[in-house]
Amino acid sequence: MGGAGWLFLFAVLMAAGLLFTMVFFIIMFSDLECDYINPIDLCNKLNQFVLPEHIAHAFLCVLFLLCGQWIAFLINAPLLGFNVNKIRGGNHMYDATEIFRSLPSHKKESFIKLGFYLLSFFYYLYRMIVALIADSE
Amino acid sequence: MASPAQQLPPGWTAEWDATHQRYLFIETTTGHTQWEPPVGNPEAPPQPQASPPPAQHSKRRQYAAGQTQAYYGGDALGAAPAQYPAPGAPQQQSQLFTPGLAAVEGQFSQQQGVVGGGQQSYYGEQQPEYINAPQQPAYPHHSPAQMGALADQFGQMNMGIKGPRLVTTNLLTVPPEPRELQQPPPEIVLPPGASVSPSPFSNADSSYQRCTLNAIPTTNALLNKSKLPLGLVLSPYRSLKEGEEQVPLVTDTVIARCRRCRTYINPYVQFIDGGNRWRCCMCSLSNEVPQLFDWDQVRNQPGDRWARPELNHAVVEFVAPTEYMVRPPQPAVYVFLIDVSHNAVQSGMVATATRTILENLERIPDENGRTRVALIAFDTSLYFFSVPAGGESSMLVVSDIDDIFLPKPTDLLVNLSESRAQLEALLGRLSDIFQDNHTIGSALGPALQAGFQLMNPIGGKIIALSSSLPSVGAGALKNREDPKILGTTKESGLLQAASPFYKTFAIECSRAQVCVDMFLFSSSYQDVATLACLPHYTAGQTYYYPAFNASRTEDALKFAHEFSEVLAQPIMLEAVMRIRASKNLRMSSFHGNFFVRSTDLLAMPAVPQDLSYAVEIQIEDTITAPFVVFQTAILHTTCYGERRIRVVTTALPTSSNLSEIFASADQVAIAGLLANKAVERSITHKLEDSRDALFNKLVEILQAYKASMTAAGAGASAQLAVSDNLKMLPVLILGLLKNVGIRQSAQISPDIRAYAQNLLTSLPCQLLIPYIYPTFYSLHNMPAECGTVGEHGVIMPPPLPLTSERLERHGLFLIEDGQTIFLWVGRDAVPQLIIDVFNLPSYEVLRGGKMTLPVLDNSFNQRVNAIVQKTREMRRGPYYPHLYVVKEDAEPLLRLWALSCLIQDRADVLPSYQQFISQLKDKVNGSGY
Ligand SMILES: [Zn+2]
Repeated sequence: MGGAGWLFLFAVLMAAGLLFTMVFFIIMFSDLECDYINPIDLCNKLNQFVLPEHIAHAFLCVLFLLCGQWIAFLINAPLLGFNVNKIRGGNHMYDATEIFRSLPSHKKESFIKLGFYLLSFFYYLYRMIVALIADSE
Repeated sequence: MASPAQQLPPGWTAEWDATHQRYLFIETTTGHTQWEPPVGNPEAPPQPQASPPPAQHSKRRQYAAGQTQAYYGGDALGAAPAQYPAPGAPQQQSQLFTPGLAAVEGQFSQQQGVVGGGQQSYYGEQQPEYINAPQQPAYPHHSPAQMGALADQFGQMNMGIKGPRLVTTNLLTVPPEPRELQQPPPEIVLPPGASVSPSPFSNADSSYQRCTLNAIPTTNALLNKSKLPLGLVLSPYRSLKEGEEQVPLVTDTVIARCRRCRTYINPYVQFIDGGNRWRCCMCSLSNEVPQLFDWDQVRNQPGDRWARPELNHAVVEFVAPTEYMVRPPQPAVYVFLIDVSHNAVQSGMVATATRTILENLERIPDENGRTRVALIAFDTSLYFFSVPAGGESSMLVVSDIDDIFLPKPTDLLVNLSESRAQLEALLGRLSDIFQDNHTIGSALGPALQAGFQLMNPIGGKIIALSSSLPSVGAGALKNREDPKILGTTKESGLLQAASPFYKTFAIECSRAQVCVDMFLFSSSYQDVATLACLPHYTAGQTYYYPAFNASRTEDALKFAHEFSEVLAQPIMLEAVMRIRASKNLRMSSFHGNFFVRSTDLLAMPAVPQDLSYAVEIQIEDTITAPFVVFQTAILHTTCYGERRIRVVTTALPTSSNLSEIFASADQVAIAGLLANKAVERSITHKLEDSRDALFNKLVEILQAYKASMTAAGAGASAQLAVSDNLKMLPVLILGLLKNVGIRQSAQISPDIRAYAQNLLTSLPCQLLIPYIYPTFYSLHNMPAECGTVGEHGVIMPPPLPLTSERLERHGLFLIEDGQTIFLWVGRDAVPQLIIDVFNLPSYEVLRGGKMTLPVLDNSFNQRVNAIVQKTREMRRGPYYPHLYVVKEDAEPLLRLWALSCLIQDRADVLPSYQQFISQLKDKVNGSGY
């Protein structure tokens, strides 16, 4: 198996991981809406995952860039920019005092990211298979 | 009691109740039951057949008027009874009639001859007969009451219209009338039989809870069509002035609640099944009446159900049984954090604060001797005070502020009544200890952490007094004031919290039931926006005294007064507030000082009196019920150790008729809700966005009104129509747009702006309305009875519209917004006026600025003093406004400040009321709804 194959295999695993993180976020938000969890615990839990999620995604982007996978990089660039912008603005963490006011937008963001990771998961899978087929020929 | 032989009216039967040993009377057609015989008993619950609606209506309305009078403190209604036009005057004329002006002109012409100097006449003391001459009816002739009466008659004749009648007003021709703002909100006309009690108190008074719409639209589409905001503005824990109705207390711990939605029993439930069950007014579930509900536990005999306070009063307090306690009721704890850095000592803050605490130890709520107190002083180190019982107090210094520890486990937090003498001695010498402290800097964050550790297991109140920007340890802040970004889009950044410390610490406090009050005194930038986060999320309050200097007696007096009021007021401890509403209504967002702990639960470690909260409401589905109920419940511990629940219930009719909804909109509540939303938007977005949102909301409302309520429909119109009950809304919005908290300006320091925003979101309507629409009186020519004591206390002059056209060069005027009082002296004021009021020989000698009026031996001086005094006392809350004397031709900044209160004038880039109205008209006509 060649470099591209390994790269996309890794990407598939990363995308699956990110996918699960987003599912977790969405479950937690709906728990908050149903009062199963209080906003303080929710923010403490989710905030542990915010930076790892952003770093994992950024790492993947850098990997694509270094390996010259331009299309894969360009697909991820908007989200990378969005995350970097949020961190620079200092509002990437969830704020327990404002969480109920901003809950709809947080949920929307998580759903969009979920969709994005799902699509990118299949795209990486496809690229991995293409790479494997190219290797075997 | 009644016997079976008693004559019952047709349709009634009597049944012997074995458990209560008395007869139960049942109306066979409706299933309604009662203990009292159905005839000849005035206490009987309303019965459509027994007491016809007309009588009931007029009775309720009468009571409502009396009640309003009681809550408005009389001054609202009794302010200027003689100034209103006679009842016979046509409607249109009455709106244009400006009594102040008429009086001025009349008096002017009459006095010209007397003094001879043309403009020399200044007050009407010599001619009291003129002022008293046009005797007019004592009761003000105001439209809402009349409309209500009309509507009542209508309701009886024609079942179609039941609420207040819609009267359209043209904003272009009707100038704002300040007295309109003192009117009660549009009448709530509930369907007959909605309440089980005929009591006038069966619906909450507007000072406790008011809704922006006194008729709730049945569908969300209808609400959207009206464009009116739907929400509640409440201050459930308001203070009571002397003579006001106390909140009744249910002491027998029998608390009937709905099994499903947990609503507390209230006057709007229905008794069914022979009185053994009650139907919830929110979710219609049938619940059992508790066994002891009809039992008088004091006398140990059957009681009268209909006399129970919770069935007769909409505002009621229950003593909670042990199920409502997580732990035994906590004692009240007060921890004082006093800044003793160089600035604080030099400004006299430390001396004033310690003296005020010392003088008010007596007044700190401590009915059962459980209250505990601690003192911590701080500069860049922390100073703890150990006050052992019976021993000498000693000071412990902690210089390591990175990792806070308490230097001693005991004797730091002491019982107030046991250690009273030692505390007094300590407070007496505290300011001397730090007399020569030259340390500059503030470890406010570490001091807060230390105070928190001290009271962590119990909870209570931290009162932090700080004179400078926190500079060391946790929560240190940087000076981020930058004059270049004021007035730009970046300005809202200065209104956001600079450090996450104050938010995360607030959450910790909220969890440990600790509330923080901030008293800020700095003369330079102190980052009020960030520091105010702490009171905001712990349900406390921020007080700000910019450039405090106790050597000015006015400063010391103001702070001492407000601080002592805060110390003396009873507080609710470890409180949680929940607002329930009828089916298909949902509380969608909350504004005010608290922490939202779950979707609908507000955590408030300590609730001060007279704070206002606002809640936005969503209509989720079509409402089929004829009326809906909102119920606010606050579970709390009183400061004398009793667990209680305060319940405030408001019932409102529903309506599918747009004109009814417009006719019952409450402009004061709408302004209160929009003020909260505007402040929130200015922080999350930009100040400009929040101004635009306010203006656009008003345009939308006017467009909606024009499209659906006037003949013009979508076309252009020469009028700017709005319903009569909303005619002050444009000027209130203009007042908001011109308020320091929101105004477009590059001159307002971020601290002043942040504090104004804090006031906008926490003041109850009674204080908020003057804060956005100040009160303006003319004193030199006020009627003779003004300033003297009348039936409802000191009689106030008639308020004038807020325009400088009313300022006269020889006059004396008073402008006040509840936070500041300006005494405006015209440049041609006659020496006699200056002598009488200020005891100074002439206008030239008079100095502008903060001052205390001398009390002199002449009636005009005493009347002016009485009016100033009344202005300071007539509203709720601890505020004690400063009095500034403003000379017409001196101190340009002070003059501009005073003039900025006259919001109907054009100021800089901000439009005058006329311009604002024509902008509105263009917008409403232009975009074509
Ligand atoms: Zn219920």
